[in-house]
Amino acid sequence: MTSENTNSPRAVGEASRSKKTRLPYYPGCTLKTTAKNLEDSALATAEALGIELVELPRWNCCGVVTSLTDDDLMHHVAPIRNLIRVQEMNAAGLADGETRLVTLCSMCFNTLKRSNARVRERPEDLTSLNDFMYLEEDYDGSVEVVHFLEILADLGAEEIGRRVKTPLTGLGVAPYYGCTLLRPKEIGIDDPERPTIQNDILQALGAELIDNPYKTVCCGSYQTVQDKHAVAELAHGILTHARAAGADVLTTFCPLCAFNLDNRQREIVERHPDFETIPVLYATQLMALAFGLGPESCRFDLNFVDPRPMLSSKGIMKEEAWATRQA
Amino acid sequence: MGNQTGMMERISESTRSLTTGVDTKDVEHWVMIYIMGRGYRVPADLTIMTAMEFAGYRLIRSCGCRQGFCGACATIFRREGEYKLESALACQTRVEDGMSLVQIPFSPADAASYDIASEAYAYSVFSKHYPEVARCVSCNTCTKACPQDLEVMDYVQSAIKGDFGGLTEQSFDCIQCGLCAIRCPAEIVQYNVAQLGRRMYGRYGSPEPAHLKARIAEIEEGKFDEALDRLAGASTEELEKLYAASERESDG
Amino acid sequence: MPELKYVDGYPEYMRESIEVVNRTRGKRKDFVPDAMTAEEREEVLKVHPDYAPGGKRELALGPNAGDPVPGPVADLLEAYPLIDGKEIDLARADLEVDVMVVGGGLAGTAAALCAHDSGVAKDKILLVNKLRHGDCNSIMAEGGTQAADRPFDSPDRHFLDTIGGGHYANKPDVLRALVEDAPTIMHWLEELGAVFDKEDNGDYVENWGGGTTARRMHSCRDYTGLEEFRVLRDEFRARGIPKLEHSPAIELTTDGSGRVTGAVLYNLETGEYRVVGSKVVILATGGFGRLHIRGFPTTNHYGATADGLVLASRAGAKLRDADTVQYHPTGAAYPVQIVGFLLTEKLRGAGAQPVNREGEAFVFPLEPRDVEASSLIRECYVRDNGITTPSGLRGVWLDTPLIDVKNGAGYIDRQFPAMKRMYARFDIDMRKDPVLVFPTLHYQNGGVETDPDGRTNVEGLWVAGEVSGGVHGKNRLMGNSTLDTMVFGRRAGISAAQAVASAGAGERTFQHVTSYVRTLEEAGVATDRRAPMLLPEYRGKAALARMIDVL
Ligand SMILES: Cc1cc2nc3c(=O)[nH]c(=O)nc-3n(C[C@H](O)[C@H](O)[C@H](O)COP(=O)(O)OP(=O)(O)OC[C@H]3O[C@@H](n4cnc5c(N)ncnc54)[C@H](O)[C@@H]3O)c2cc1C
Ligand code: SF4
Ligand code: SF4
Ligand code: FES
Repeated sequence: MTSENTNSPRAVGEASRSKKTRLPYYPGCTLKTTAKNLEDSALATAEALGIELVELPRWNCCGVVTSLTDDDLMHHVAPIRNLIRVQEMNAAGLADGETRLVTLCSMCFNTLKRSNARVRERPEDLTSLNDFMYLEEDYDGSVEVVHFLEILADLGAEEIGRRVKTPLTGLGVAPYYGCTLLRPKEIGIDDPERPTIQNDILQALGAELIDNPYKTVCCGSYQTVQDKHAVAELAHGILTHARAAGADVLTTFCPLCAFNLDNRQREIVERHPDFETIPVLYATQLMALAFGLGPESCRFDLNFVDPRPMLSSKGIMKEEAWATRQA
Repeated sequence: MGNQTGMMERISESTRSLTTGVDTKDVEHWVMIYIMGRGYRVPADLTIMTAMEFAGYRLIRSCGCRQGFCGACATIFRREGEYKLESALACQTRVEDGMSLVQIPFSPADAASYDIASEAYAYSVFSKHYPEVARCVSCNTCTKACPQDLEVMDYVQSAIKGDFGGLTEQSFDCIQCGLCAIRCPAEIVQYNVAQLGRRMYGRYGSPEPAHLKARIAEIEEGKFDEALDRLAGASTEELEKLYAASERESDG
Repeated sequence: MPELKYVDGYPEYMRESIEVVNRTRGKRKDFVPDAMTAEEREEVLKVHPDYAPGGKRELALGPNAGDPVPGPVADLLEAYPLIDGKEIDLARADLEVDVMVVGGGLAGTAAALCAHDSGVAKDKILLVNKLRHGDCNSIMAEGGTQAADRPFDSPDRHFLDTIGGGHYANKPDVLRALVEDAPTIMHWLEELGAVFDKEDNGDYVENWGGGTTARRMHSCRDYTGLEEFRVLRDEFRARGIPKLEHSPAIELTTDGSGRVTGAVLYNLETGEYRVVGSKVVILATGGFGRLHIRGFPTTNHYGATADGLVLASRAGAKLRDADTVQYHPTGAAYPVQIVGFLLTEKLRGAGAQPVNREGEAFVFPLEPRDVEASSLIRECYVRDNGITTPSGLRGVWLDTPLIDVKNGAGYIDRQFPAMKRMYARFDIDMRKDPVLVFPTLHYQNGGVETDPDGRTNVEGLWVAGEVSGGVHGKNRLMGNSTLDTMVFGRRAGISAAQAVASAGAGERTFQHVTSYVRTLEEAGVATDRRAPMLLPEYRGKAALARMIDVL
């Protein structure tokens, strides 16, 4: 059995200092629409770190959430087709022989990596899928699905700290993980119970780390479509605990977690009139600000609870910078 | 100049089988095809459409432009001994020996109601009117079915990404034949999704040129009235002179 | 005949001439034959199918008695009706509406939309179509739509080009409406979301057309009609305006005093009839290419059978310029499966040249269509410089690879995907090899006469589009027809909507049909011909000979 966990991603640190590292990058549809604030800020920070995330040509939907039925092979067509595109990208000389595929959306990460693990585990499934996609070249199992956080962790806190121009001093940041980056543990990027991978990075940005046990509590996931109030209750718990522990903001990498924690504050306020809203950001938005890349790359207009008043009260953003944008 | 009546007759004689139906005595090469399971011997150089007519079908459905533009003649067929189900436009595809075929006279599909003037230029326009696009499993069956050889899956994916320009580019040659939609396991009606997307792009993504608006204003102000009055009232002789004197715009 | 050996889609013997064309391309790259003088044009037009003797006859009866029209048109205008009305209860309408549009091409669809915009409730509009809403000439337009919107250009220039091309027979008031409304139509299409070819700076890409003195052709690759039509059709659908498909109108009804009050429809699939009462009727049934005048193959769709001319003239409408037929210079002449299919004029606008067997460019590529077509016929049948195909047709080359030579590689891919695709289906690569062409029956220049709002001399009857006559005179220029359909479809829709406000429903009778039959008999026209034709007959002769009707 080949688990990707055993092949830890190769370091980019050294190379990035001299010359740009080009990495195939899978965006996913949410990042092109409602989570443009994740994509824009991540691409900008990556560039500042000497990494060029090259969008995969002709990528399709990741496949979203691996199905749980027995005969679910059809659901692996989409993810594996994306992995074939990485091979094509290399064949076309667009990826410098790089077999890592970087993801940003933790849901896409989860789906792609699980499918990859599945076909590596079950060659007969891979053969069926390859036969089905007879118009494409065969997938050979060589692609490594990685998350951007792993790339950052690999670069190291020191390297990241070097780019910081506006430290996030005095900002209490509670990292939030949810589940798709961590579970199932065969594909997770960190300890599913006690993840820490965001810690060093946030600290390197100068933020005050607010670690709290609610960081892995379920955000409610797709229940949000069925029963938004139930999800609002879950979010209420997560947010109030973070606030109580001293957080000014929360960070995440998952558009669905972000939606549940951020947008559902509308429902929370309806039920709990005394609830004080709290901004939920993508960690990359904070990085972009700390790197001095300006609010342009952050698309704060897409955050439901506007983080700009909080950020400017901490002196991390200039007041005018967002006032003029709003006008 | 020659014998023109004779010439016209020679021309019409050379195209007789095309304009009046095929006469068996003119045929040299034959093939067997199976129309809905029943075998017919037909001339080898016909299209599926003209072969059906040769066999005696009077087409009412599944025939329109006869030239590859209207999408009425969607046809599915299998070659002898093959497992693959192929699709084609009957008017654009030559018959092959052993071909077994049926036409798809109609593809039931709901088209949404909308007023593009009041829609948001964003992905949400698709989730609002065709929420099923999100069900695409990227199986690529649609692409395989497309007789225009479009990357249908890619344009569906462009819709999901809210990439209106990409969708327009990839779906532009779609003749709305319906073959993709009847084969889609996710029951997406690709060509309607694309139609909505292209109109959104046309209206919002590819703005109207300034010179067009300027010209409409000039016409409304009556800038050309005098010249047009003169032309509309001119005699044939005057017009002939003006026409002969009219200079062609330089090519540069 | 022995089996021929084919190389890249062509039999070997045709390849020999192709090699000559490929060899001489470099020489011809910067050479364009001069345009013809008026005298030269007159001379070459003698071989035009319209002028070559034997093609026409004078109508024996009707509003245009004495006027010459092509034989197959006369055959339909002098034919008995499909029904005499006795078997039908006209008084009982299956449906009563305010505006009935007959024919759903660009003209009819535009008319329905504009009637709706002008206040007619959608359920008081009905669009009926012979086949599917989309089986029409409009959807096949490839080359473009004219509109004088660039600063160099002007509506009066557009007017002059059109009337010169039309041999000065155009009706000036109608033509004026055409050129003045053209930019408004472009604006309308933009608002509806049609996607036209544009430069990087957002301006239109505008090309030459035969007989234009300025670049004013707006295109959507070589799918111009497809894009325009599918946008209008989508808008029509999105608004939920009612339509009936596969239900041609087979006769109009009148109120006895000459006013049109509705129509009888025929369900092609079940054979059932329907009576529809309507305060006004807009006829937009398109042209007559499927009559195969002079035995020519055609570019037209399956249902282009002159039904509108038959219905309108029986109701007393006057025709004009119905004697002239447009043959498009470049129809496909090879392979046999696509003979007669259109090769858009836009190809010549982009640099493709007609070339004879010896590789010589023998004509200015953008003469008005009748002149260009005549010169191809002369090259094949008088000068004997054509190439004969395995099925016995003659044609000359259209040197398409020259397009990429002149505009850079990739131009054909971007601008002519439909043409490239059609040839690729028959193993021919038009980027590398020329394609064989010969004139094909393309367009009905004349038709029912109207005023600038599409009104005919018959009360209650409007017409729009190819079925109408006057705006193009005796020869239409490319790009003026898609334009005309929308200009006059729109005008007809608006003015019919205004008329509806003051009109009541009228009685429905077949009096005009009865009196027409009487004139037929009085004129001594002995025939068993019946019209409208509805569909051409292409069934195999062997199959037809054994057909019996027992069920
Ligand atoms: C291949 C081709 C290429 C062309 N290219 C160009 C171009 O580049 N530029 C340009 O300007 N013009 C071009 N033209 C001409 C132009 O497209 C047509 O003249 C124009 O679109 C006609 O529009 P219409 O609405 O009048 O008729 P159509 O589009 O033909 O529509 C008429 C409709 O009426 C229906 N109908 C007919 N009889 C009946 C009946 N009895 N009852 C009910 N319905 C009926 C028909 O089925 C049809 O759907 C081209 C034409 C062809 C054929
Ligand atoms: S056939 Fe349907 S599910 Fe499959 S790729 Fe096409 S749109 Fe997606
Ligand atoms: S995309 Fe679908 S509807 Fe359009 S041409 Fe292809 S198969 Fe037909
Ligand atoms: S009949 Fe129109 S595409 Fe074949």
